[in-house]
Amino acid sequence: MRIFSLIILLSFSSLSFAAGGAECGDYGDCDEFKPQLLDNSSLQRGLNTFINNCYGCHSLQYSRWGRVAKDLDIPESILLDKLVFNPSVKTGDLMKGSFDKTISEEWFGVTPPDLTLVARSRGGNWIYTYLRTYYEDASKKYGVNNLAFPNTAMPNVLESYQGRQVLGCKQVPSFAKNGGVKRDESRNIITVEECGHLILEEGSGKLTVAEFDAMIFDLTNFLTYVAEPMRAERERIGWFVILFFVVFTALSYLLFREYQKDYH
Amino acid sequence: MDTLFGKVFNWVNHRLPIVNTFERHLSKHPVPKKVNFWYLFGALASVVLILQIVSGIWLMMPYENTEEGAFASVEFIMRDVDYGWVIRYLHTTGASMFFAVVYLHMFRGLLYGSYQKPRELVWIFGMTIYLVMMAEGFLGYVLPYGQMSYWGAQVIISLFGAIPYIGESLEVWVRGDYYISGATISRFFALHVVALPLILIALVFMHLVALHEVGAGNPEGIDIEKHLDDDGVPLDSVPFFPYKVLNALVGIGVFMIVFSVIMFFFPEMGGYFLEKANFVEANPLSTPEHIAPVWYYSPYYAMLRAVPDKLGGLIVMAGAIAILFVVPWLDRSKVASIRYKGIFSKIALVLFATSFLTLGYLGTVPVTESRKLMSVIGTVIYFGFFFLMPIYTSFEKTRVPPERL
Repeated sequence: MRIFSLIILLSFSSLSFAAGGAECGDYGDCDEFKPQLLDNSSLQRGLNTFINNCYGCHSLQYSRWGRVAKDLDIPESILLDKLVFNPSVKTGDLMKGSFDKTISEEWFGVTPPDLTLVARSRGGNWIYTYLRTYYEDASKKYGVNNLAFPNTAMPNVLESYQGRQVLGCKQVPSFAKNGGVKRDESRNIITVEECGHLILEEGSGKLTVAEFDAMIFDLTNFLTYVAEPMRAERERIGWFVILFFVVFTALSYLLFREYQKDYH
Repeated sequence: MDTLFGKVFNWVNHRLPIVNTFERHLSKHPVPKKVNFWYLFGALASVVLILQIVSGIWLMMPYENTEEGAFASVEFIMRDVDYGWVIRYLHTTGASMFFAVVYLHMFRGLLYGSYQKPRELVWIFGMTIYLVMMAEGFLGYVLPYGQMSYWGAQVIISLFGAIPYIGESLEVWVRGDYYISGATISRFFALHVVALPLILIALVFMHLVALHEVGAGNPEGIDIEKHLDDDGVPLDSVPFFPYKVLNALVGIGVFMIVFSVIMFFFPEMGGYFLEKANFVEANPLSTPEHIAPVWYYSPYYAMLRAVPDKLGGLIVMAGAIAILFVVPWLDRSKVASIRYKGIFSKIALVLFATSFLTLGYLGTVPVTESRKLMSVIGTVIYFGFFFLMPIYTSFEKTRVPPERL
């Protein structure tokens, strides 16, 4: 046992200096997103945002309309009238998208990727950050660039909601070497000017910052759901399975102890 | 035995050695009465093997072994097959847990000298199982045909290309094509679900037959056959059934709790059990930023990258596995268990395990200069442990183990 703990200790100490690159490109660490998969109204709003703004180019080709409607408690009639605009689509069909992939490749240079599993390949934090870090950049084809995903090929589809965002400079607290915030004699925080920050032009979008963040939250929440639609069920069942094995272990331990008396 | 059941049972037993086998391998098979938790991992490995076979059979039913259909069929299993996700997560979690328990099982062998005379063959069968498992895991990893399946396969198959003269033709022969394609998937599928499992089961059988012939070891590393009772049964032993079976059952219970926590709450295990890039369908035109093998191969991958030359790296990697086979002849110690070995063996084992874990980490992250240097140091320590073993085990001062358990 002593040997074992020594090995663990040594291994961790030898790894402590290991560092990784920033998760969200030039933005640095991604903003945190915690999914709320049991919040059906959030998922419904996310689905709505997705269908109206993303589904034109991005498919969810492994997911079926009917499954989404059932999981999100959307009556089939509403699904077909308000979300599926194509009358030939049946509820059991896959959400294959409504866009010709060759045209999209011509327009954007790349085929817009299928997004069924994007929350598993990129992660919720990344999506939540990416969709909020667009800024104007005249040098790009669509006049926008992105901090989390520099040189992204996707235009800023949600700009009308968020408003105009540019890169600019702003005053930020300065830090001492020991990591503490620097203050002057009257205890005011000393700031320095730092550039490369996202600055939003107030009132240029339909939504406030909080409303826009909530919209992206719902969208990310929906994408997290659609990437693993059984996740809520998985965790629910998990508790019962664990409970079963706890009881199993307890009973087998009692039986083992009883039999152990034979040879102790 | 005059009942109908008794009559049928007797009829069968006269033709098939049921009672005999049961007694010989279970109810009268003596095992050391005092062992610790390290002796549970063999039983756990067989539990996972059974889980893998059963979940594998059910996965095979809806899986499509074609280039166009493989990735989508896995998502079909996850979404449209009733409880398909349970089967798939059982299999993916099981794969990693299989390696986890086998690594601990192997470490137990190093810790208590389980490979020493007369258990050399048990060890060799075990090492062969490990080798086949690595091939089995690799082949299985290609089947969902995600980005990491594709590019991982690309890296591994290209290693064959490093072999002089026959390398390139060998690569084509393994892939069944000039690049990874549907032909590769279907042959990997056949090997993964039929050929290697058959070999694996046969090897596990041999591992157990050889073990039952020589008897199980113990943490003191002593021979319990030296002290027998009047019936020739070792005094320090208990029958395998029911005593050790019940003991294993407790271990299996605890293990299944851990297994379920991972499977139901962390099936991706932070990208170590299911890599993020594998949620993107294989795309030969787009290389992922960072290709990393699954964690159970990563120590060897770190060694491969530590050597600048591809063939050299391949030789080092193969050597790292090959050398494990000859451990029974490298250890010259008079005692088996680490408890009675000298200080050098203890230091060597700690350094070895540390280097293996560190290499394991280094194999999963992108290379930098300092990491490369650490990989080289780790590789040297890894081989040093084995190459110097004949020296430090024969010269160091050992303690005398007790006579009885």
